Amino acid sequence: MYGLKAITAHNGWAMALAGALIVFSGLVLLSLVISQLHKVLMFFEKKSVDVQQDPEIPDVEPSEDTPGFLLPKPFPADINEIVRLYNPLIEALGESFYLSELYEILRKNDFPHPHITLTALRESKILIPDGDGVFTWNPPTENDDNEKNEG
Amino acid sequence: MELLFQFLSNTGYYLADYRNVIMIMVGSLFLYLGTAKRYEPLLLIPIGFGILVGNVPFFKGFGLGIYENNSVLHYLYFGVVTGLYPSIVFLGLGAMTDFSSLLARPVLMLLGAAAQMGIFFTLLGALAFGFLPKEAASIAIIGGADGPTSIFLTAKLAPHLIGPIAIAAYSYMALIPVIQPPIMRLLTTREERLIRMPELRQVSKKERVIFPAVGVLLCCFLAPASIPLLGTFFFGNFLKECGVTDRLAQTARTAIIDTATILLGLTVGASTQGDVFLTGKSVGIFLLGAVAFSIATGSGVIFAKIMNLFLKEKINPLLGAAGVSAVPGSAREVHLVGQSEDPENYLLMHAMACNSSGVIGSAICAGVLWSFMVGL
Repeated sequence: MYGLKAITAHNGWAMALAGALIVFSGLVLLSLVISQLHKVLMFFEKKSVDVQQDPEIPDVEPSEDTPGFLLPKPFPADINEIVRLYNPLIEALGESFYLSELYEILRKNDFPHPHITLTALRESKILIPDGDGVFTWNPPTENDDNEKNEG
Repeated sequence: MELLFQFLSNTGYYLADYRNVIMIMVGSLFLYLGTAKRYEPLLLIPIGFGILVGNVPFFKGFGLGIYENNSVLHYLYFGVVTGLYPSIVFLGLGAMTDFSSLLARPVLMLLGAAAQMGIFFTLLGALAFGFLPKEAASIAIIGGADGPTSIFLTAKLAPHLIGPIAIAAYSYMALIPVIQPPIMRLLTTREERLIRMPELRQVSKKERVIFPAVGVLLCCFLAPASIPLLGTFFFGNFLKECGVTDRLAQTARTAIIDTATILLGLTVGASTQGDVFLTGKSVGIFLLGAVAFSIATGSGVIFAKIMNLFLKEKINPLLGAAGVSAVPGSAREVHLVGQSEDPENYLLMHAMACNSSGVIGSAICAGVLWSFMVGL
């Protein structure tokens, strides 16, 4: 059996329609839940801070999202300045490291625009891919800068 | 002399027929594409080499071929026909996936849902072509562009089609750079491709830890048949995000997924023995697979355009093409097409959000189709 007759005989229309609706409604529900997740968490965190706060000791413990070190404001746009700020992080990660690890550290420390900066560093050949998500750090040396200036 | 003649008549050179030769050429093409062109090498190289291994002619009954009981390949193939390897691959995939971008912009999950429409259109197409419902469902899932999901569902519904369906699914995944960009360009205007996406908000660790637990409950309560895939997928992600099982997460996203991928690729490749693989059905599966993949890409893009009619902050419709679950190939392609119009436009993280929701969507589709076929 072929064509529309086969689709009808095997209940194809109902399966396709019901299947599409189920998948769509499942993902819509999931997206609705996760869109409210941070609000729910914020509500509970606020509540727990209110309960724990001692009126005589107004200091509040820094949250886990507090930046680990001070970043200059505004954040520099110059790639060499960015390299200088990234250097201590890279030293902590070692000679070769997973890009995801670096990204995670950048996020934890509130570095602005981490994706854009990482892409710029890759395009400038400062982040060199070694394959399988592992990268090495190749900061420009002073000689490079001089050569560029001379060129 | 007789012994020598007997030996010669049992060699592959003597037993080979044209179907083996064709398949060996296909396997060599896969190896070439994977090695020289770097098209999905982690998939195409094990599969390509498996095709070579599976198409060495041998005399039947000696326990050598993948379809012969007691052969080594047959035992390794066990993980394919039981759906074990896809499940393990999903564990590793979960341990690799970062859902931050999806959590930051949950509306992008709708694009992952829209791209699954290719599956249901193809279900109708396959039925119209005369395939039986279980075969049609297995072919349709190619539209999800997810190799392990395709293999899992086919193993459950139509195990005799695993070879062609797996090869079709992985071939189209490898051909994403060829298939998707023309469809994206055809369905969007330049102005639409230039739309920039805003920087994503920062997602807290708690959100990332809670998401896999919420995800597995919501999705698997809806489609319990997707537990073998989504259960391990979200478990792997929980290992990654909870912060106290780094060793397990590291093993899941390296050694475990690599082992499963090697065995999956090699045995799926070896299952394409010329005499079993080269049939009219396989040609039909390849044609329908291309249709499924193209419709999936198109429906994601068109749905993004429809969403833009209602959204204040427009989204770049190219992102719809990343709703198929070919991770990270389609996200990369969306990013590249976006950058070809505007080199300053960074769509990758948004596209990864659609991509990861596509993985969830296609696994739910597999569960739904499997449950529809129970009793047929």
